[in-house]
Amino acid sequence: MKVNPILLQVFRNRFVAIAEEMGVTLGRTSFSPNIKERRDYSCALFDARGDMIAQAAHIPVHLGSMPLSVKAAIAAVPMVAGDMVMLNDPFCGGTHLPDITLVAPVYLDASENPVFFVANRAHHSDVGGMTPGSMPVSTSIFQEGLIIPPTKLVEQGKIDRKLFDFLLRNVRTPQEREGDFAAQIMANLTGVDRCQQLIAKYGMQEVNLYAAHLNDYAERMMRQTIAGIPDGLYQFEDSLDSDGFSDQEVPLKLCLEINQDQAHLDFSDCADQVTGSVNAVYAITLSAVLYCFRCLIEEDVPTNAGIARPLQITTRPGSLVDARFPAAVAGGNVETSQRIVDLVLGALAKAIPARIPAASQGSMNNTSIGGLDPRSGQPFSYYETLAGGCGADAAQQGASAVHSHMTNTLNTPIEALEYAYPFRVTEYSVRHDSGGAGKQRGGDGLIREIELLAEAEVTVLSERRSTAPYGLLGGEPGKPGLNQVIRKAGSESLPGKFTTRLKPGERLRIETPGGGGWGKKEK
Amino acid sequence: MLIIGVDTGGTFTDFIWQDGEEQGEYKLLSTPQNPAEAVLAGLRHIAGERPYQLIHGSTVATNALLEKKGARTALITNRGFEDVIEIARQNRPELYQLQVVKNPPLVPSKYRFGLPGRVDQSGAIIEELDEATLGPLLEELNAAKIESIAVSLLFSFSNPEHELLVGKSLQSLKLPMSLSHQTLAEFREYERTSTTLINAYVAPKMERYLGELEAEVGPNSFRIMQSNGGSISAKTARRESVRTILSGPAGGAVGAATIGRQSGQDKLISFDMGGTSTDVSLIDGELPLTTESTIAGYPVKVPMIDIHTVGAGGGSIARLDRGGSLQVGPQSAGADPGPICYGKGQELTVTDANLFLGRLIPDRFLGGGMALEATKVGLSMRTFAAEMDLEATELAEGILAVANTTMERAIKKISVEKGFDPREFCLFSFGGAGGMHAVDLARLLQIPKVMIPTAPGILSACGMLFADVIKDYSQTVMLGQEEAAPARLKGLLHPLERQAERDLQLEGVPQDRIELQPLLDMRYCGQSFELMVPLSDDFIAGFHQKHAQVYGYSNPHKPTEVVNLRLRAFGRPPRLAAQEQPAGGTVPEQQAQLGTSSAVFSGHAFETAIFERSSLKPGNQIQGPAILVEYSSTIVLPPDCRAVVDPYGHLLIDLQGVAS
Repeated sequence: MKVNPILLQVFRNRFVAIAEEMGVTLGRTSFSPNIKERRDYSCALFDARGDMIAQAAHIPVHLGSMPLSVKAAIAAVPMVAGDMVMLNDPFCGGTHLPDITLVAPVYLDASENPVFFVANRAHHSDVGGMTPGSMPVSTSIFQEGLIIPPTKLVEQGKIDRKLFDFLLRNVRTPQEREGDFAAQIMANLTGVDRCQQLIAKYGMQEVNLYAAHLNDYAERMMRQTIAGIPDGLYQFEDSLDSDGFSDQEVPLKLCLEINQDQAHLDFSDCADQVTGSVNAVYAITLSAVLYCFRCLIEEDVPTNAGIARPLQITTRPGSLVDARFPAAVAGGNVETSQRIVDLVLGALAKAIPARIPAASQGSMNNTSIGGLDPRSGQPFSYYETLAGGCGADAAQQGASAVHSHMTNTLNTPIEALEYAYPFRVTEYSVRHDSGGAGKQRGGDGLIREIELLAEAEVTVLSERRSTAPYGLLGGEPGKPGLNQVIRKAGSESLPGKFTTRLKPGERLRIETPGGGGWGKKEK
Repeated sequence: MLIIGVDTGGTFTDFIWQDGEEQGEYKLLSTPQNPAEAVLAGLRHIAGERPYQLIHGSTVATNALLEKKGARTALITNRGFEDVIEIARQNRPELYQLQVVKNPPLVPSKYRFGLPGRVDQSGAIIEELDEATLGPLLEELNAAKIESIAVSLLFSFSNPEHELLVGKSLQSLKLPMSLSHQTLAEFREYERTSTTLINAYVAPKMERYLGELEAEVGPNSFRIMQSNGGSISAKTARRESVRTILSGPAGGAVGAATIGRQSGQDKLISFDMGGTSTDVSLIDGELPLTTESTIAGYPVKVPMIDIHTVGAGGGSIARLDRGGSLQVGPQSAGADPGPICYGKGQELTVTDANLFLGRLIPDRFLGGGMALEATKVGLSMRTFAAEMDLEATELAEGILAVANTTMERAIKKISVEKGFDPREFCLFSFGGAGGMHAVDLARLLQIPKVMIPTAPGILSACGMLFADVIKDYSQTVMLGQEEAAPARLKGLLHPLERQAERDLQLEGVPQDRIELQPLLDMRYCGQSFELMVPLSDDFIAGFHQKHAQVYGYSNPHKPTEVVNLRLRAFGRPPRLAAQEQPAGGTVPEQQAQLGTSSAVFSGHAFETAIFERSSLKPGNQIQGPAILVEYSSTIVLPPDCRAVVDPYGHLLIDLQGVAS
């Protein structure tokens, strides 16, 4: 079959434009700052089998996990026109509970079965569970919030009100949830409509054909990229600081095999799943791998099912990177995903040292603070991730105080924070000299120090507090991060994962890790 | 009175003048080393000894920022917050790049100075600023040979006391000083600091440039175009240089809005396609404003005309990527080497595709002043097409189709994605390449009408002639719904109104020509983006309505908050009535017809009539396929559309009822 290079490009633009327009609708119509300002969401379209055609992602961690959730929805619930299926079950298409996916079929007037699917996923700032923000230091999925298996939220255009009310009763901020769900529904309606318009214009056959061609296109780009990596076996080992319950490091190990234009990543030797909430389900591991390999392609390729085809991933069920029910998984999505990237890049650095940077901060420094705002008498719930240092590479120093790899969310401005919460920010600066030394220096982390003006419960989920972000080819590691509480009596260092209560006047100080250096520093 | 509009561009400096009876244009090559040279040469040529009023769109501030050639600037902040400008919003520009490349701050760490003292959100001083710390600071600034100073302290918009104190203490340095509460009295410290810093960074260059011009312009009135679509005196522009950045495209939007209104079209999508990029903007009765602009990666939060730019233009290069997909742009052949048809280029561009299809007439380019090499283009097109197993015409039309989808997406971004239906608008096309793509693009978007003004190549300069004097004021107030009664808001607005009236009088606007437009930035409690609505007695209803239009829904039960008060102050000059031109018949006169040529549309060659646009008369009708040539642009009418010349000489193309 002859592929027309013009139509290939035109369809690529059209498919991506649909996903992007869904994203704009979701971002603009959502209620919570988490979705709107931090852009913690993605939108995508899929063919009739559930293979992804195009995705508009702001968060790489959704890369591989979106397709799995759509396939789970298709398998679990038959959908007629106007239906929408929601899910967040990490053990059935989800990643962690706050990420809720909504899937809608695209029907044509005459079609018996869906011809396409559209889906979007958004991080809801609370889905119940033991701490505000639903990102707890937990030991089981049941502590983390409401588990939603693939379930119809919308039936033939109507919201299932009983189900919806039930759901809203189980979360801390129901009004906000309702607004965010409405935005997710709007985004899918937009996607369905635009798909139908596209098919009306070009015909089903041609649209389908070019959807398939686009997957082949991305596959070709990925294969050519892998073919540029020398064949061989490359191993890398690292470990998580802890699972939040014991001080024990949790070993991670990868064996990467490059064979011509294919890569096999074997994670079988990673540790067993753990008590704490850093377990990652397979979807997260897949996302982290796809992210690393997607970055190797220098051109701007569409992210679709094609890029995954040359990659074979082996995990051991019940391990840290393929956790099974009822493991606690809240932190796997945000923390372990970063550390899987470290692992994959560490192995790749052995194959193509000139192209791969040293380790970046390896954490998102998830900070949740909840309590009662004395100014309004209302409860508040604040969640934020903090940037850190990037690893250096052969060509340049690591960037400082910026989000790396699996996340890219905006910060909350100090002045916005102090209007909205009973906090006073007492320092926000670059953590100078925290990047690893080397021929090229690693980037510096940052310091965020917040004084509480009301009593509050503080939860921090962070990594790289005891292990350091590695340097490469003789470069020094970056400085590990530091979590501190400053009380009248003095300051106290706390571990990477903790929950504590702070009184007014006490301060939380977080210093995020620096990036690793690259190459031996010349004396 | 002679009024002259001057727009400095990358290649040409455009002049347009009017003296009540006559109107004319003039073009000179720009003088990038010292832009004032071309400006002054043109003024001498046009005005001679006559007095005149000058309105000028300068690129001095824009280029200082884009080329990072501003002043050695110091940034003064609260202690512990010196790095806010470096951390920015902590996100990275590209998602899928292993090595993050961050935009470096305009001020390196060594020129950032932290001071004690702190104000909270209510404006209360919770830590005093010790004046004793300012003495050593003054010495440090002196020693560092600082040329300009920006001061941005937390919550200074709630209480400017500390910023004013710093300003006063450093006065003896006699340096340009930008205080954040004066540049932008709004919350969000990074964006306010960035805006203030840019103002300080470009001010000395602007000062020198305007000084040089003023020496020559002398007692004549001298106004500078701003990015908000209005002009200010050169004196004010020295203090508020940040407001002049990107004023050229703003001139284009003002020109489009004014000409559209004259011809009864007030819903426009302006489409300015040039050599390397395309600017689009949506005008729904009034000029669209945004406060979320980013220039060269740095946020500029002052209100600007909302213009979206994409990297597709006549010079965009077509190439096959290694996955086998046809890419067009964003790489551009620019002016040098330029498209293949200019003689030096090696790579096929959009312009070459137009030429190959017969839509660009080789011996009529720039009024016949530049011959185009059609043979070389034909050879390249056929070779490249053979590599792809395509017919040459198929490839040429494909290059246009790919470029058009890029521009289609740009227009969707400013229309569909903001709650507007492009089918209700008229596509207002200008710029050198716009006329060749406008009809195809309109069809893709189901836009029923295309308008192409007279002299589409100098619309920006033209817009400057029409521009009002505009000054923007804002103040963060952060008031919940119960606190924000209209009477209270109007009370809070008084100081801004008094300031605005004073300022406009200083700008030379008579009292009866001052118009004040109070606005509010509002949101639902908990949201982090605001919408701008007029301050009226039922502004809350207005907000719900606007929210529904932009975002597709509203929730009248949800409490709202007023984040910022805004005031736009207009000095409206007396409107110059557009002059109707003598009408002709429906059939263009003989002298307008230059003959015919073969052009390809949808794979078929058509015998296509060629017209000289300047010889067309109001009332003339032209049936596609046809090509209209003029000095600086070419207009393509594909088959199945019809154009008519309106009473002012503008071209209206009707696509209604014509299938896409």
